[in-house]
Amino acid sequence: MTDRLRLEGVTVRFGGLVAARDVSLAVAPGEIRGLIGPNGAGKTTLINAITGAVLVASGRVLLDGHPISGHASHQIGRRGVGRTFQHVEPFNEMTVIDNVLVGVGRRGRVPFWRAALETPAARRNEREAIAFATETLDAFGLLPYRNTRASDLPFGLLKRMDLARALAARPMLLLMDEPTSGMSESEADTAIATARELAGQRGITLLVVEHNMRVMMALADRITVMQFGAVVAEGTPTEIQRNPTVIDAYLGEEATDAGR
Amino acid sequence: MSRQSLLAVFALVLLSLLGLAVGNYTTYLLNLAMIAVIAAVGLNLLTGNSGQISLCHSSFMAIGAYVSSLLGARYGLPFWASIPIAAAVAALIGGLLGFPARRLHGIYLALATLGFLQIVQIVIEEFADVTGGVRGLSVPKPVWFSALEIAPYHLYLIVAATAVFAVWTATNILASSYGREMNAVRLSPHAAQALGVAVARVKLAAFALSAAYAGVAGGLMAMVVGFIDPIEFGVGAALRQITYIVVGGMGSVAGSVIGAAVLSGLPEVLRPVREYSDLIYTLILLGFLLFMPNGLVVVWDHLRRAAWRAIDRARAR
Repeated sequence: MTDRLRLEGVTVRFGGLVAARDVSLAVAPGEIRGLIGPNGAGKTTLINAITGAVLVASGRVLLDGHPISGHASHQIGRRGVGRTFQHVEPFNEMTVIDNVLVGVGRRGRVPFWRAALETPAARRNEREAIAFATETLDAFGLLPYRNTRASDLPFGLLKRMDLARALAARPMLLLMDEPTSGMSESEADTAIATARELAGQRGITLLVVEHNMRVMMALADRITVMQFGAVVAEGTPTEIQRNPTVIDAYLGEEATDAGR
Repeated sequence: MSRQSLLAVFALVLLSLLGLAVGNYTTYLLNLAMIAVIAAVGLNLLTGNSGQISLCHSSFMAIGAYVSSLLGARYGLPFWASIPIAAAVAALIGGLLGFPARRLHGIYLALATLGFLQIVQIVIEEFADVTGGVRGLSVPKPVWFSALEIAPYHLYLIVAATAVFAVWTATNILASSYGREMNAVRLSPHAAQALGVAVARVKLAAFALSAAYAGVAGGLMAMVVGFIDPIEFGVGAALRQITYIVVGGMGSVAGSVIGAAVLSGLPEVLRPVREYSDLIYTLILLGFLLFMPNGLVVVWDHLRRAAWRAIDRARAR
């Protein structure tokens, strides 16, 4: 089977700094892949390289066997790569449903002049988009906040809106940058359940960057460990927990204690 | 029919009746106010929604005014052909300006658009054979067809219908996915891109669209005033238009209408202290930026909601 996501020797440079060095990894369809590593290991850089937000200096990124590196960010988004943000980037002055509607976006969209003249086709298209966005809001328990401005939402709900917005674009690969940061433990548990459901029922492949080891152990099928911009280990959560290099580099005493 | 379409028809009927009730000079002032509304609606889509500052909106009015007037003077084209062509030319040039503008922000974009304004001024002044240069250009009397002149009240109706059409289309655009993309590009280009929004293309399209509105406004202005010169479309005019949308409310069609309608009448009020009018405009702009950054539209929204509540209550009874 073709890998959903495949990185071949991806290197990213910021001036003289090598933020990602010769990174290769392969994620199977439907897999939940964890990406861990200390601060500055290059995890977010890698996500940005996959989405086209930063330029890949050398190497290739392949989605279902098709190279996507070098394409514009929005084209990669349209080909089915979605993302959520570590620091949520809401469209602040817009309502929650409008935020999600940007995700619904261009599907079946009428030409511009039809929208400007509000023809029946334009109205029908808008109704369908709103119906789909409403469904998505409902699935994430956001329906009561439909017409709330994003800037008025508390952080936990913003995180949920961020996820709903990304999923409204119907990605086949979703990159999640620290989905549980700033959440309480019970909120994080809900987030884990949601992510599992996404991968299970919708068949979305997940690449999850996460600092919280407890979350990662509970969620990921396989884990990739990065340090100083390079991949230093890969394996199942149990393997990773026992890997001496990983313990040395990242997990430390605390995590091994928690794992015992 | 949707609520905004009903409102549009209602507004047009009201404006037609108003035009019958007032004298020639007031009709002229109303024409200018409605033209200011059309231009402000376009500028607000660009600046208020897609988040791009422009100091050359008056230049696109100039392009609309000169192109439509010259088409009328040289080829005898009536307004209903010349103004759409002028708007298309303005949109094309707006799109070309949007190309470099896609990568510029804030002060750099302000400077680039100011540079464009200067270029347009220079072109008008230097090609005096065609444009009349600094002496200006007399616009032929507006006609329906070759010799059939348009009566003043009918000209007023043309301007009113165009203004209502401009407001109606802008409202529809903002309520559609195109409008949401413009707002998304302003509020977080990063997130918009990740959701598949072609940020650069949206920015460029916003430039072309706003230029088209300005082009129409310019064409109508030439028709109404009967004379155009480059000073009319200078940096002062560009700043006035920015004041309109700030005072009315950024990113809101109702804000454009309120700001332009209220402030375009200001020169009349300020006639006794005319030499201070630039100062007064600047003070108004600063005052609103500091104390009422969301503009007068906030007051309007308040009234409108109260009105709908009252209607709902009346229905319930």
